[in-house]
Amino acid sequence: MKKALAVVLAVVQLAMCVVALSGVARADETKMVGVITKIDLAGKDAKTATATLKDVKTEELVEIVIEDDLTLDKLKDHRIVEGDEIRCKYEVKDGKKLSTYFRKTAGC
Amino acid sequence: MRKLIRIVVTGAALAALALPLAGRAADPDPQQKKIDELAKELEALKQQVKKDEEKSLSKWLTVSGDYRFRLDSLKGEVPAYYQYMGPAAMPVPMPGFDPENGTLMTNRFGLNLKAKATRNVTVTTRLLMNKTSGMQTADATNAGFFADRMSVLDGSIGHIPTDNVLRVDQVFATWSNIFDQPVWFSVGRRPSTGGSPTHVRENGERPGNAGVPGLLVDYAFDGMTLGWAPEIDALPGAFAKLCYGRGFEAGYSNTNDLKDTDMLGVGVVPVDTDPLRIDLQWNRGFNIFDDPNNVGVELGSIDWYGAGVLSTLKGIGPGSLTTFASGGVSITHPNGKHMLLGGMDSGAGLLTSGPDASDRTGWGAYAGLRYDLASGTKIGGEYNHGSKYWIPFDPAADDMWTSKLGTRGNVYEAYLIQELPLPAISSFVSKAFFKVGWQYYDFDYTSSNNWIGAPVKISELMASPMNAQMLAPLKSAQDFYGTFEVRF
Repeated sequence: MKKALAVVLAVVQLAMCVVALSGVARADETKMVGVITKIDLAGKDAKTATATLKDVKTEELVEIVIEDDLTLDKLKDHRIVEGDEIRCKYEVKDGKKLSTYFRKTAGC
Repeated sequence: MRKLIRIVVTGAALAALALPLAGRAADPDPQQKKIDELAKELEALKQQVKKDEEKSLSKWLTVSGDYRFRLDSLKGEVPAYYQYMGPAAMPVPMPGFDPENGTLMTNRFGLNLKAKATRNVTVTTRLLMNKTSGMQTADATNAGFFADRMSVLDGSIGHIPTDNVLRVDQVFATWSNIFDQPVWFSVGRRPSTGGSPTHVRENGERPGNAGVPGLLVDYAFDGMTLGWAPEIDALPGAFAKLCYGRGFEAGYSNTNDLKDTDMLGVGVVPVDTDPLRIDLQWNRGFNIFDDPNNVGVELGSIDWYGAGVLSTLKGIGPGSLTTFASGGVSITHPNGKHMLLGGMDSGAGLLTSGPDASDRTGWGAYAGLRYDLASGTKIGGEYNHGSKYWIPFDPAADDMWTSKLGTRGNVYEAYLIQELPLPAISSFVSKAFFKVGWQYYDFDYTSSNNWIGAPVKISELMASPMNAQMLAPLKSAQDFYGTFEVRF
């Protein structure tokens, strides 16, 4: 059991190192957790999508523009749908909130 | 005079016109009043509807599930061998035979409920029924060939055919977004079955943050998880978990000499995207018991190490291609104790026989691919190999003979899935499909999926009575199967 605990502690230390190395969000990035209330996606060939998120803290509606292929695929395949809670980061460009991180909140 | 009358009449007329205006100012228009009242009522109704919507079932409860009808046609080959007759009796030579079940039919039904209780806290439940057609026992599938099918275990109940009782396969509460960080804690009966990449042949969704690598573990544990999904740009989708599960509760210490059987695991998925998913896992099982349903003694501990890669690429020809490869190592640490039979020493320890109590290292490998066409046709093939001492923890696997991933030898499988081109109604992922497949087991050593006693090479079964077996060993086995499945 001691050996097992030593392994677990080593993993925790490694995790802390990863956290330290992973850095923080860029200054012009905003983080939020919100529930998707609406998805605008122009068909299977769409290169961009807009998801409206309701901020879980402020209850404000925020429109996020998504352009990365991995997230677009999930929207097209309905692996991300309305009602899903999303952890996202965005930066404002030309007045639009452009997603830089868009994933379902983790948990099982 | 006329001028005077004209002035008086004009003045009166003007006064008459002015009076209603003055009256209006003092007494509002009934129509406007009604409009104002209606507007207020409409606003109140809107608020009520909003409240009702927020409390409606669809806002906090998700219901889904699956049904499967399955037909299996099984045929195997048992070579001549020595039958173990107990600690105090001589082994008896047994002739070979070919067990066969031409048509074995089973029904499986699963019902899933996910309730959002409060912000960041959910309760997830899966109820499961799995029965053999024409009987209410597990006798037809638990036919005495393999340890993982000899009896229904706590962690395999519902996964191998039993009866028509809808049992709790999973129920766990999850607290996520702890302290506004991508950290979660989850406790209850775990989603530790059907892990990646076994979902590929099951035509299931990717397990996400749930589950454990299917090559190492396929068993329903009661336990808990502490998970963390850091936001690292260079490692998209990365997450790590510390998992704990209880495999056997020993009870009060004054009633026996047993210890609890526990499992501890650390899983790291450094990348989780469609084109690339990598998983790394370490598990340790403490105080591994002898007979799960009648524990007499504990035999030692086992370490497992595993790594896997899964990739789905779109636009490969007319369809998409999913490929995967997993590898695992098991290392047993026997404590020198042996399984008890009727209170007597059987001579069989943790992958050992007799006085030898050496550590045993085994390895397993698992690879496969599936090609998906836009027509809903999916063609797949898989191969896995296990060495002499390979012992994963996969009793709940969806195989009729024995968990193929615990086989000491080779297993080949090919299958074809045809989804029906019908629009989904109950959810975006609902679907109905037919599946036909074939499995071929080629055993090199005895006792696949059994951690009791030293394995014996199949070709040496009759070389010595010392190679006697408790269970009838198979040299080869095959299973032609077909299913009709509905996900809703």
